[in-house]
Amino acid sequence: MRPVTSERRPKPYAVIRALLRPLWRTLPRPALAAAGGLGLLLAGLPRLLSGAPDPWLCLNLLRAAGLCLALGLAFLFDDPARHTTAPVPVRRPLRGALRLALAVPVAALCWTAALLLVPGQARPPVGAVTLEAAATAALALAGASAAVRCTDGTRPGAAVAAGLTAVAVTVPTLLLPQRWALLVAVGDQRWADAHGRWAGLLVVAVAVVALCAPEPLRRGSVLRPRPRGTAPTTA
Amino acid sequence: MSAIEVVERAATADGPAAPAPRRAAAVLALARFEARELLRFVPVFSFLLLYIGYTAWQLYSEGDGMGAYPVLQDVDRGTQTGPVLLGIALLVCVNRAAVRSRRNGTDRHDGILPMEPWRRTVAHVLSVVPYAALTALVVAVEFTWAALKPGASGHGSFFELAVGPLCVLLAGVAGVLLARLIPSFFAAPLVVIGGYVLLVLAAVNLDGSHGARWLLPAVTEAGAGPLPSDLLGRPAAWHALYLTGLIILVACGAVLLSGARTRTALAVTALALAVTVTGAVGQAPGDSAALKAARAEASVHPERVQSCSVHGTSTYCAFPEWTGRTADWAAAADRVRRLAGGAAGGTRLTVRQRVEARYGPEGDAAIAPLTGPGQVSAGTEWGGDRNVQFAVGVASVLVAGDERAGSEVCDARVVTIMWLALGAEPDPLARLRGARLDDSVEGDAIALTPVASVAMTAGQTDVVRQLLRQPRYGVIAKVKAHWTELTSPRTPLARVAQLLGVKAPTTGEDNGETCDQ
Repeated sequence: MRPVTSERRPKPYAVIRALLRPLWRTLPRPALAAAGGLGLLLAGLPRLLSGAPDPWLCLNLLRAAGLCLALGLAFLFDDPARHTTAPVPVRRPLRGALRLALAVPVAALCWTAALLLVPGQARPPVGAVTLEAAATAALALAGASAAVRCTDGTRPGAAVAAGLTAVAVTVPTLLLPQRWALLVAVGDQRWADAHGRWAGLLVVAVAVVALCAPEPLRRGSVLRPRPRGTAPTTA
Repeated sequence: MSAIEVVERAATADGPAAPAPRRAAAVLALARFEARELLRFVPVFSFLLLYIGYTAWQLYSEGDGMGAYPVLQDVDRGTQTGPVLLGIALLVCVNRAAVRSRRNGTDRHDGILPMEPWRRTVAHVLSVVPYAALTALVVAVEFTWAALKPGASGHGSFFELAVGPLCVLLAGVAGVLLARLIPSFFAAPLVVIGGYVLLVLAAVNLDGSHGARWLLPAVTEAGAGPLPSDLLGRPAAWHALYLTGLIILVACGAVLLSGARTRTALAVTALALAVTVTGAVGQAPGDSAALKAARAEASVHPERVQSCSVHGTSTYCAFPEWTGRTADWAAAADRVRRLAGGAAGGTRLTVRQRVEARYGPEGDAAIAPLTGPGQVSAGTEWGGDRNVQFAVGVASVLVAGDERAGSEVCDARVVTIMWLALGAEPDPLARLRGARLDDSVEGDAIALTPVASVAMTAGQTDVVRQLLRQPRYGVIAKVKAHWTELTSPRTPLARVAQLLGVKAPTTGEDNGETCDQ
C-alpha cells in the first residue's frame, strides 16, 4: 500500500470512488429492503381491495408506507466498525454523506413506486405527501445521527426505529392538540397549516442530521459520562 | 478459571442430576432480570408513565359533568383502549430483548450454558407478566374509582376488565414469538406498522361479521348511549377465554421454535389451541333470539321491565340498574315545575327512562317522543348537559302538553320552555350554552331534549338571553301572571317580550309564526 503523505494527497474524487464499494457493502441492506418491500406492499393494498378506492384510506396507507421507509433509513448509520474507523483521515461527515447518497436515491425510487401504486383517482396531492414522507425520513435519520453522536453504541438503529414506531403510533394521533394537528385529511382547512408544520419538522430534522454528523470529540455516552481513564466497552 | 473448567462445570450442571426446582428458580431469576431490563427501554418506560399519567388525569378531570355519574357497564369497556399503546411498546422492546444475544453475537455461547434456549424464551415470556399485572392494577383502580362514586350505576364485567391486561400480555408474547420466527432486530417495528394497518383495515372491513370482528384483541363498541348491562350482548367471557388461549398458544409457539419439542410442550400447545378455538367459536354467534326479544321489549315496552317510584305527585320509572337515579330526576323536574304557572305547576308527570337497544351497543338510532299527556322521557346518562336536556324535555311537556307536541313547538312558546328549563339554574347562561347543540348563546340553534329537540330562532335566543340576565324572582312573577298567554301558540314573540318586560328583537321575521321554516 502506498503511504499517504502531505505532499501526495489522493484526489477527493478518488477517495470517494474508493469508498463507494465498501460503503455499499456495509449499508444495512436487509433492513432497507424489508422496509421498502413492506412500504410497497402497503401502498399496493388499495388495488387488492374490492370497490372504489377510498382517498382517506389511500392517504393513510401512503403515510404508513413513508413511515416504513423511514424505519429502514433509521438503520443507515449503524456501523459495527465505528470505533475502529474513528481515527481514519476520511472524516465521518463525508462517510455519512456518502451513505446518504447511496441510500436516499433508492428510497426515493421506492417512494415514487409507492406513489404510482396508489390508484390515480384516489391519490392525494403528491408534493404534500412527499413532504410528509421526507420529514418522517429526516426525523428517523436525525434520531440515528443523534444516537451515534451522543452515545457509544455501534448500532443504534433498532432503538431509533422502536422509538420512532412508538412516537408515530401515538403522538400525531393521540397526544398532539387539535391546533397542532399533523395528520389531516385532504380538503381539511388545516391542510396548509399542517404542511407548514411538516416543513418545519423537515428543516429541524435536517439541521440535527447535519449538526450530529461530525465524530464526537470523546468516546462515551453524553447521557452516562464514564469516569476518566476507563476503557469503553463495545458490547 | 480456564475456559475448559467453565465448560466442564456447565456440563456437570446440565447433567440429569440437576434438580428441577433450581432450574425453575433460574428461569424466574432470568425473568426478573429481563423485566427490569425492559423498564430501561425508553419506549416502555415512557409509555408506562404515559398510560399511568393519562389514566390518573382522566380520573381527576370530571369530563363534561358526566364523570360523576359513570355507567359501569361502559366504564369496564373504556379500560380496554389505554393499554394497547403500552402493548405496542412492549412488543417492540421484548422483541429487542429476545434477539439481544444474537445481535451481540453471544448466542453461540448459550450452548455451553446449563440453561437451554427454550428456558430463556420462557423467561422472556415471563418478563412481560409484571407489566400485565401493573396494567391490571391500573385497570382495577380505574374501575374501583368509578364504582365508588355516589352517582355510579350499572354493573361492570370482570371479563371486560381482563381484556386490557390480557392485551398487554399478548403483545409481549407476540414480540417473543416474532423474535423466534424472524431473529432480526429490524423486523419488529415493521411488523408493528404493517400489523397496525392490517388491524385497522380489518376492523373497518369486517363491520358486518360478528365472529370475525371479535377475533381482534380488543373490541370496543361505542355509539349508542349506555344500555342496561343484560342487553349489551357482548361475549366478554368467551373473548377472555379466547385471548387466554391465544396468549398460551403464541407463547408455546415461541418455546417450540426454541427447540423444546418435549411431550409436555406439545400437549400444552394442543390444549391452548383447543382453548383458543373454543373461545373463538363461543364468541362467534351474534345476538341470540332471546337477546333480540329482550332488546325489543326494553325499547318498545319499557314499562314491562321497569320499576316505578313516586316522588311528590309524579311517577318516575327506571330500568332496574338506574332506580337510584329517580331522586335526581325528581329534583330536576320539581325545579322546572316550580317556575311554571297555571295548572302546569301541578301537572302529574310520568318520567320514563328510555333506550333504543334494538341495534345493539353501536346503533345510534333516534327515539320517538312519547305522546301521552304529562309523559317525559329520560336517558341513561346523567350529569352536566344531560341535566339541562332533561329540564328542557320537562319544560316542553309542561308548556305544550305532551312530548311530541313539545318537539314541534316553533313559535314564541320556545322562550317560555327555555326559561322554565334554565331559570332555576345557578349559572343559566352557561347552561344555555350547554343545552344548545353548537354551544352558542346567539343566533339560531337546536336545543336538545333526551329524545327530541327544540328549534330556537335568533330572536327567541335574544329574548331568552335577556330574560336569563334579569333578576330571577321578577321574571317568575311575570311568567306566572301571564301563563295562559305565554303558553298560547298564537302569541307573537314581540308580545311575549312585552309581557316579560324585555326588549323585543329588532328583526321583523321572528315576530310572526315560524313553523313554516
